[in-house]
Amino acid sequence: MRNEKELIEFIKEKLNPLKINKLRKNNVVVQLNNSELVSGLNFLKSQSYSHLATISCVDWIEDNEFELVYHLFSYQDKINLSVKTRIDREKSKFVTIKNLWKVASYYERDIHDFFGVEFEGNDNMEELILENWNELPPMRKDFKTREYVDQKFDWRQYHGQE
Amino acid sequence: MDKSKMTEMFFGPNHPGVPGNYGINYYYEGDTVIEAEPNAGHLHRGFEKLMEEREWIKNTPLVCRICVMEPDINEMVYAMGYEAIGEIEVPERAKYIRSIILELARIQAHIFSIGGNCGAIGLYTAMQWGVLARDYILDIFEEITGGRVYHIYIRPGGVRHDIKDETFKKILDLLDDLENNRLPDVQKLIFENPTAQKRWKDTAILNQEDALRLGVTGPSLRATGLDHDVRKLMPYGAYDKVDFDVPVGHNSDAWTRMKLKRDEIFQSIKIIRQLINNIPDGPVTVDLGNALKYKIPKGEAYVKVESARGEYGYYMVSDGGLKPYRVHVRGTSTPLGLYGVEALLPGTRIEDVPVWAHSLGICPPEFDR
Repeated sequence: MRNEKELIEFIKEKLNPLKINKLRKNNVVVQLNNSELVSGLNFLKSQSYSHLATISCVDWIEDNEFELVYHLFSYQDKINLSVKTRIDREKSKFVTIKNLWKVASYYERDIHDFFGVEFEGNDNMEELILENWNELPPMRKDFKTREYVDQKFDWRQYHGQE
Repeated sequence: MDKSKMTEMFFGPNHPGVPGNYGINYYYEGDTVIEAEPNAGHLHRGFEKLMEEREWIKNTPLVCRICVMEPDINEMVYAMGYEAIGEIEVPERAKYIRSIILELARIQAHIFSIGGNCGAIGLYTAMQWGVLARDYILDIFEEITGGRVYHIYIRPGGVRHDIKDETFKKILDLLDDLENNRLPDVQKLIFENPTAQKRWKDTAILNQEDALRLGVTGPSLRATGLDHDVRKLMPYGAYDKVDFDVPVGHNSDAWTRMKLKRDEIFQSIKIIRQLINNIPDGPVTVDLGNALKYKIPKGEAYVKVESARGEYGYYMVSDGGLKPYRVHVRGTSTPLGLYGVEALLPGTRIEDVPVWAHSLGICPPEFDR
């Protein structure tokens, strides 16, 4: 069992993190190069960080980057470890981690629906939640809900009962 | 695989055996499911996008609507995320009150879930009794918060207002009533019922290896022999100040999960009694200033709590503004409801598909949020 400090030292020694810090008790964030992410996750998985809670995507539109966050947890260390990487927003392409956690294939499909990120190696990239969606992926920051609604639907006046 | 010999079946999106508007498309041969695929998307309401466009406080009435069964859990985890990023310390009394509310919510969710599982095997009387037992708890919620299902009570910084001593007394009376009248009824009607035993035993098996591989948590994981519970692993609220056990089962089937839920109700009763007897005095919320101008520094947090069905997590990002930059909801049943259907449902008999979905706690609104 490691505490947060030991974990940080351990990761610094074994991997090559761009940034790593303890956010608060039981919560550590590490940022990896995107070429090292899959091998890094594979390594962490073998080091008891085998519970993949989910994959989040954050649109940092000002930096023109997407941030993918893999939330891992270790039942031994009792630490939440968020492993992050940043990818180019224009290309929006990354590799799948389906071979490490099969369940990730659906999380990747979800991100593909809402952010338009392609995951190479994941052969099933069909729409999961949305249906026949031809617009900009809706969770991107430049998708404006109000504008879309104005464009897509006619506004109607509602006259309530007198 | 020769699909010409198989028949395709659409289970849902509108089906009494489905917990919510969500479908499973499967191929079957004889009466065994051979291949299955989740059909989500019928419930999508765009919560995450909506949350980015509302001030911090305005999301409190929104998050509780993500999952009908777990409104308080959602409020709690949202508040915890806000407090974690803003480094806000909640008063002791508020922690106790939050834990009391969460445990009451767990009892109602478990009773409702046991009832729902009976509905899935055709024991409709038991289902109605479950709904009735839950209603008594909703009465308490109505008295405390004004709302029966959605309470909007736990908010960043504490809880909305204090609970009166009379109400605590009512809660204790309710627990006595549950323990002495309702739960023995449930025991006789459901757990000593040969139909329920026959249908639940050795049905919907989820073994330990699969559970860990998928990231399944809660009673479904504990039914496989592990005692992982977020309340013990990473205590939040006042759970580090109470003494309780985590029931564990070993057969990994629907029957074991149901028994665990029943046992957890008794543990929750024990927790609430301890909390009410030891509750400290003091304020129930910290002053965060004008509610519409809530602001926390730049930062991020992955927070999680133990809901009635397992880990409920939020990933929250703040850019220092008046609104959240990103909130990502990790519902408890996300791994099972999506990938689990594809990987684990094949091999189940058609009649057991509702048992599979209900006993594993599939709640579509939380992955189709």
